[in-house]
Amino acid sequence: MTLNEVKEILEAEVIIGSDKLKMEVKIGCAADSMSDILAFAKPGALLLTGLTNPQVVYTSEISDIKAICFVRGKKPDEKVIKLAKSKNLPMLMTHLPMFESCGRLYANGLIGIGYLDIEKKNG
Amino acid sequence: MITLKEIIQKLNLEVMSASGDFDREIRGGYVSDLLSDVIANSKEGNIWITLQTHPNIVAVATLKELAGIIIVNKRKPEDETLKKAEEENIPVMVTELSAFEIVGGLYELGIGRATENAKEV
Amino acid sequence: MAEDKKYTKIQELTYELKVGNVMTKKVVTVSPKKTIYKLRNILHTKRISGTPVVDKGKLVGIISTEDFMKCLAKGETNIPVEERMTKKVETLYADEPLVHAVRKFDQYGFGRFPVIERGKGKLVGIITKGDIIKGLLKKLEIDYHKEEIHRYRASHIFEDIVADRTTLTFHYNVVGEDFNRAGESASGLKRTLFRLGIQPDSVRRAAIAAYEAEMNIVVFTEGGKLTVSVETHRIKIEASDSGPGIPDIEQAMQPGFSTAPERIRELGFGAGMGLLNIKNCADKMNLTSKVGKGTHLEAIIYLNQR
Repeated sequence: MTLNEVKEILEAEVIIGSDKLKMEVKIGCAADSMSDILAFAKPGALLLTGLTNPQVVYTSEISDIKAICFVRGKKPDEKVIKLAKSKNLPMLMTHLPMFESCGRLYANGLIGIGYLDIEKKNG
Repeated sequence: MITLKEIIQKLNLEVMSASGDFDREIRGGYVSDLLSDVIANSKEGNIWITLQTHPNIVAVATLKELAGIIIVNKRKPEDETLKKAEEENIPVMVTELSAFEIVGGLYELGIGRATENAKEV
Repeated sequence: MAEDKKYTKIQELTYELKVGNVMTKKVVTVSPKKTIYKLRNILHTKRISGTPVVDKGKLVGIISTEDFMKCLAKGETNIPVEERMTKKVETLYADEPLVHAVRKFDQYGFGRFPVIERGKGKLVGIITKGDIIKGLLKKLEIDYHKEEIHRYRASHIFEDIVADRTTLTFHYNVVGEDFNRAGESASGLKRTLFRLGIQPDSVRRAAIAAYEAEMNIVVFTEGGKLTVSVETHRIKIEASDSGPGIPDIEQAMQPGFSTAPERIRELGFGAGMGLLNIKNCADKMNLTSKVGKGTHLEAIIYLNQR
């Protein structure tokens, strides 16, 4: 799914990265807990979160998250936007709550990370 | 109308605390790991999806009269959490799936498509 | 361990690659009006064991050697294919991730699935298990090649240094309770390790371990140091502070155990996963602590030598 499709589906606003909307995101990941993102996120994922602090950007960089979409109308402040810019990390923002955002993306074919572990267990 | 019982069955959830009303109608869902956010924005009858496992989640669910809690990412609730859940009649379920996927599944069952949930900020 | 990682890589690829990337585009098809007799020639000359039935570009059925044999046994060679084909065909879309195809093969046990264009029902290809394996191998080869290029472009620093043993050490000062900068050290480390040409997977593990260690210092102490030393065979991350110390390390290692106050949890930290994350990322981890004195954490990640 491209970032542009994400934008359309979630009726989102582009905070930074309007030149990167053709970028593909493979996997959806929804969390407000940084440690869980670090533990579970797979490279290339789209992160949906309600947090807007600088650690979201650092966590994304370290977990190879490809793009962030803030939910529930949360918008990061200038400092965080600047930080994300310096790391070339596209950021979107949607007014939708997390539940609706995940639901819509999933219904449109974006897959989650859990599959990987389950598939592995089932061989 | 969809009940908690149906959700558990269809999404293969493991029930950790079985005291509470499993025939209750699920009215929308809320995903968040931040307690203050859930306190501020969740609605009565919501099913709450989180990865938090500590006892405070039961207090929040009780306060907001949520229909139940689904803990994701293979996490197990603490003993204290389960004890409280039983006391307060809050159903607690766990799943191996991530929040993103379990919400996807709930959404496919028709939960949370109502506009009342989509409007809140 | 290495085996395990490889497995994950292939799994990742099954999500990255689309059915359309690996399918065979040139498909031998048969029209519904062709007779079973003529089908025989097609199956025989093309050496295939089944073929989609297509009417004006649209997929209308599938017929296999098995179906063909049944007709033969009954002597029905002159009836049209459409009367004996399977009409309810299981298909895949070209834009579906490969993992869907893998699942479908498991589920149905069929030898092939026709691939159609979403929405239009137009046949655009066919996919077999062999196509999946070939596609994955090709992609792995390309990725491996890219990784190699990356490795060499990054730096030759270790090769350029003449010494019996070389250690590069990076020091980071971590300020306690500074949530504006928390994460900066691990972020800097990640970029540095990349520049050194270390494998992406090892870089990622080291960065996650360093990040969690850094956050622990920020959240629980008044500050500390993060020291990372890199040798050709391993990365060693050390985090030390003179903070309050951990009374019960075993308890602190339990998933979900946390002494973080609510305000830290609201920042997305303190969910009781940090130490476990470090342990899972490291090949070796050692944690010592004295209450009132401080905590010392050491995590080692071994690098694959080629």
